[in-house]
Amino acid sequence: MTPAKIEKLERLVEAGAQARTAESGSLWRQSFRRLRRSPMAIAGGAIVGVFVLVAVLGPWIAPYDPTAQRWGDEVFLNRNVFPGPRAENWFGLDHLGRDMFSRMIVGARQTLLVGVVATLIGFAAGAAVGGTAAAAGTFGGRWGQRIEAVIMRAVDVALSIPMLLLALSVAALLGPSLTTVMIAVGVAQIPIFARLLRGSMLAQAHSDYVLAAISLGVPKGRIVISHIFPNSLGPVIVQATLVLATAIIEAAALSYLGLGNPDPGNPEWGTMLADAQRFLSGAPQLAIYPAVGIIVTALGFTLLGEAMRESLDPRLRRQG
Amino acid sequence: MLRYTVKRLLQLTVALLGLTLLLFAWFKALPGGPENRLLPDDATDQQREALRRALGLDEPIWTQYVEFLGRIVRLDFGSSLSSGRPIATELADRLPATVELSLFAIVIAIGVGIPLGYLAARKRGSWLDFIAVSGSLIGICTPVFFLAAMLKVVFSQNMGVFPTFGRLTPGTGFTEVTGFRVLDGLITGELDVVGNALVHLVLPAVALASIPLAVITRITRASVLEVLGEDYVRTADAKGLKPQTIRARHVMKNALLPVVTVIGLLLGSLFAGAVLTESVFAFGGVGSFVYQATTERDYPALLGFILIIAVSYVVLNLLVDLSYGFLDPRVRVRS
Repeated sequence: MTPAKIEKLERLVEAGAQARTAESGSLWRQSFRRLRRSPMAIAGGAIVGVFVLVAVLGPWIAPYDPTAQRWGDEVFLNRNVFPGPRAENWFGLDHLGRDMFSRMIVGARQTLLVGVVATLIGFAAGAAVGGTAAAAGTFGGRWGQRIEAVIMRAVDVALSIPMLLLALSVAALLGPSLTTVMIAVGVAQIPIFARLLRGSMLAQAHSDYVLAAISLGVPKGRIVISHIFPNSLGPVIVQATLVLATAIIEAAALSYLGLGNPDPGNPEWGTMLADAQRFLSGAPQLAIYPAVGIIVTALGFTLLGEAMRESLDPRLRRQG
Repeated sequence: MLRYTVKRLLQLTVALLGLTLLLFAWFKALPGGPENRLLPDDATDQQREALRRALGLDEPIWTQYVEFLGRIVRLDFGSSLSSGRPIATELADRLPATVELSLFAIVIAIGVGIPLGYLAARKRGSWLDFIAVSGSLIGICTPVFFLAAMLKVVFSQNMGVFPTFGRLTPGTGFTEVTGFRVLDGLITGELDVVGNALVHLVLPAVALASIPLAVITRITRASVLEVLGEDYVRTADAKGLKPQTIRARHVMKNALLPVVTVIGLLLGSLFAGAVLTESVFAFGGVGSFVYQATTERDYPALLGFILIIAVSYVVLNLLVDLSYGFLDPRVRVRS
């Protein structure tokens, strides 16, 4: 985590806070209108839309069973014979004689699942940590502020460890599996979400409606949970979109390091890409399909996230 | 400034202690436990107990932690399970390879990224800008190990332009001085070694540079755009300064500050990328070692690596913070 990234997070917080406080929601609507006109958002949205659609419908639209080794007798590993694209198998066959096209389509679901679950883990745990810190710092008096300082220092240390290493250490604890990959990637995202949500909540804590709630005698716990927290989520959702892209890429890297699913019967792009490295010189297409899938999908989420961030951030808008 | 430095140093100490505590907990929680990893499956309970006592595993947990800290300070991480050599030696021997690779990667990233980002910002909306922006987005979204593997297939195996693995062609005679092959060759005057080592560096360095390059390009572009809109640039323009002077003195000087910060910190994360790149090219550096340790579940080796990376990262962070406090008086006042 670099200062530039941290500054980016803080800018996002600021933008979210401004969007909320200035002229009751109209800025949000403006942001959305701007988003609909942004080519980046449209491209990203289209990619994400298609990807999600394929992920949901996968098993029904795939022409063949992705696990059936139907054409196993046409593949010869030792002679590097991997039948390429043809009428019945659009993307050719993989090393076990399975239909690549079906595997790509069905694999989209697992890939999306890995990304979403990892992001949710990071979000939930990060929200708990960051939310506690913000609540303690705002309402906990002097001791609360100390607790907040300790929590945030710990978060800063965690932010300073490269994400892949963090994921690697978690994966070492849990043994190789797809669940491990999800947890490992998710845990690596916790500090990002914690920092972002805390910043966002602190920005909300100084707003007029919180002051109003305090003077009305609303219990502090309720102010935090039902007023500050929901209003702080905007920037966090933007970040989650960006994290989804990272999560899918990191998951592929962990699979490559042998920490993913050891038995990839159920297709998943990261596992497929890692698996295909063994046949790279003879059949690079086995790696290229899942790699392009991952790159395009990650690009889609990144474009969408960046466009959302830009439409929220008045400073970036002025430049545009 | 002194107070600021002392405060940051104290925070650093606390952070590092916390980190060792975390790593200790991690090491303790690893599946199996060391006694199971060292003993055959059919060992008796008495043998297990004896080994636990020999390893100090029956001591109270805080004694074990102090012991753990002591070993870290002495850089004693035990022996690698795969090679049997001490992990610290193993890492130290391999460090020059990785540092050399990382330096070349960062030189590529800076050499291409800063000019590209600058031109993209100046010609905003042009095709060059479009290529720079979309190229850096794709760069960030491409898994490093895939890029490395494709470079190897295309340029080494199919076209035969670059070697496929290692730091030198096997059998090349060279004199070891510093462990940095290129530097060694220059010192001893073995220019063939220099050329050979450089050719071996190209593909891994390009692969490793992909993400830093993308990041540097984007940050330079954003930073230059921001500075171009500043009042002092307009003032400089209005008072009739030459465009070259404005670009060099007003725009680049100010725009490079965030870029420099990022570069300093990218160096740390390069080590993580090196794990993936080196494994593809069997480069024999720290990255290859960690890849092997990961696939073979060599936990003591992983522990040593994570610790070294984390410490260097935290220290680097501190240096950057301090240089900021030095360069920008506002930082000092705020703290």
